[in-house]
Amino acid sequence: MKKYLGIILCLAVVLACAVVFAACGESKPAESDTYKIAVVTDVGQLMDKGFNQGTYEGAKKYAEEHNISYKYYQPANGSDASDNDRIDAMKQAITNGAEIIVAPGFLQATAMSTVAEQNPNVKFVFVDGWALGKSKTTGYSYDNVTAIVYKEQESGYLAGYAAVMEGYTKLGFTGGGGGGNPAVNRFGYGFIQGAEAAAAEKGVNVEMKYSFMYGDTFSASTELQTQISGWYAAGTQVVFSCGGSMFQSVKSAAGEYPDAKIIGVDVDQSGESEKVITSAVKGLSVSVERVLGQYFDGKWDTELANKAQNLGAAEDSTGLPTDTWRLKNFTVEQYTEVLNKIKSGEIVPKSEVPEDVTAGLTKVTVTIEK
Amino acid sequence: MIFLLQKTLIFTIPLLIVALAGMYAERSGIINIALDGIMIFGSFFGALCAHILRQDPFFVDHNQLTFLIAMVLAAVSGAIFSLLLSFSAINLKADQTIGGTALNLLAPAITLFLIKLFFSKDALEMETAIGGDGKPVDFGFAILNEDMNPVGQVFFDKAYLSTFIAIGLFILLSVLIYKTKTGLRLRACGEHPQAAASVGINVNKMRYLGTTVSGALAGFGGYVYIATVANGTASGTVAGIGFLALAIMIFGNWKPLGIALGALLFGFLKCLSVIYTQINIEIGGEKIYFLNDLKLPMYFYNMIPYIAVLIVLAFTSKKSRAPKAEGIPYDKGAR
Repeated sequence: MKKYLGIILCLAVVLACAVVFAACGESKPAESDTYKIAVVTDVGQLMDKGFNQGTYEGAKKYAEEHNISYKYYQPANGSDASDNDRIDAMKQAITNGAEIIVAPGFLQATAMSTVAEQNPNVKFVFVDGWALGKSKTTGYSYDNVTAIVYKEQESGYLAGYAAVMEGYTKLGFTGGGGGGNPAVNRFGYGFIQGAEAAAAEKGVNVEMKYSFMYGDTFSASTELQTQISGWYAAGTQVVFSCGGSMFQSVKSAAGEYPDAKIIGVDVDQSGESEKVITSAVKGLSVSVERVLGQYFDGKWDTELANKAQNLGAAEDSTGLPTDTWRLKNFTVEQYTEVLNKIKSGEIVPKSEVPEDVTAGLTKVTVTIEK
Repeated sequence: MIFLLQKTLIFTIPLLIVALAGMYAERSGIINIALDGIMIFGSFFGALCAHILRQDPFFVDHNQLTFLIAMVLAAVSGAIFSLLLSFSAINLKADQTIGGTALNLLAPAITLFLIKLFFSKDALEMETAIGGDGKPVDFGFAILNEDMNPVGQVFFDKAYLSTFIAIGLFILLSVLIYKTKTGLRLRACGEHPQAAASVGINVNKMRYLGTTVSGALAGFGGYVYIATVANGTASGTVAGIGFLALAIMIFGNWKPLGIALGALLFGFLKCLSVIYTQINIEIGGEKIYFLNDLKLPMYFYNMIPYIAVLIVLAFTSKKSRAPKAEGIPYDKGAR
């Protein structure tokens, strides 16, 4: 009896394998299976409620409104994805018929330059990147790549300014990327400058904890949660959580302290927790949508090819979402006033992050944890 | 200081309960190397349960009740998952280490697959939901009680329901294994099953009991771990806590008190390694961050708990006394 059972099981396994292989053989994309717009995600997960999600939603919105097929690709190995994993994901997108690939994250530079050179007919949108110019080795001009950069320092500035004007004097900043991500660094440095400006205006002294210790890969961790929990225990009132899924750690830590507050990043995170007082946003979704629009309207060569757009408050791409914030003392009028000053260029938050972020501060005492 | 003790307690609880889970299985004669996998499995089902319950405003408003139900479900799912191990080890007389390893490989794969399938995410969070009064309510199970005296604060401020349940379970199960008939029989099956069988004890039943209790505890511990220390997020990993718990069980010499001591020690060191930058003593009104001032790289502190366990194990291993029959499939005919 047992012998027969064994034979039957073996047959079943062989049959299952055969079916799977047969299915693999047929997996050549049919016409209806091509996806014209592709999003290749950065480290972290797609639904990170931040960077990846914001980019994806922009692409998705445009695609759905204009009835264009779209698909996202996550490079293999998650947070440890290598350039080869990214290249594979981009090639996969091209095999599936992608005309334009939106790739958020400055880490994608190498992969993108490789794939862009091999596929000159496929267009690339490099979010948080820069115009690639000409290849140093082959002289290839990256006319099929366009870049979007944001003035994160402006959002950071506004968040810091708002927090201090609201009456908070003990702030915290935790950033992802281990200090090596330019966008995160700009957010952080802007946050310091904004706090400094508001502290000088109000004549108060502000303490700030500043850390890149945990969250190298923009993911939540036990260590990060405990560290932030320690900040709140030591009196920190509001923490600027700057990096995708790290928000989850900060939120868990804030849950143990009744008065703990959080500032979100990239997209409006007020719906994620009642503790979020405001979010330092950048217009990911809107700008991706716009660039896709320019491309599909045939304006690539004139407006986008090998160019970088540096978007800030003047383009309505940085700021704080005033409809959903939970600030009480800092009014929308006050906010608009500062925002207009930034728009007009009266206030220019510095974008170059110096080696020593504490240099030149008088009212804000920054404690760096590393 | 209070903060350090509070956090130590929170770090200790999952270790304690999972090490106890390991003890129950091994005392009955089954090596449960699958603790880690069962924790992952339990944490996922606990999180899933909380996620589903929180669709309903009633449960959003009653956080503690949700937490309790999720804990129970996590324990049940852990127990069911562990039946795979019991079946292979007891009925099929398979190698227990290999069976356990299979479970360890299976659990993260299944959970990640399900999370990606249903939520298109890498991790399942217990999110903020809308309460009965239409306002968003965060996932928060901490019991806040700041008006306590310092000693009370350690236990009752920012405490979790799970902490009390775990301590209660720990006492109950320690008594059960030493002071009751069932406990004696269970231990006998781990030492000399043939002798136990000769006096009419059903060895297979006892081993099933030990492994199932073990699975339930590990599932419970897994959910407690993600709810209290790991961001409230089930992500197909528990950072190797299951294996650490095994080390703590050996450190504790397969005895509840030793396990409690080991879990406390490790919990404390682990906690210290994370918040060393913030530990200070006040001298003359000035705060001195003595550990941070040493300017050692953070990796040094991160290593401390593991190195400490390694050293302690090296020194105590001579006295280590494992249940004699653990890992050996029960054979009626053997002597």
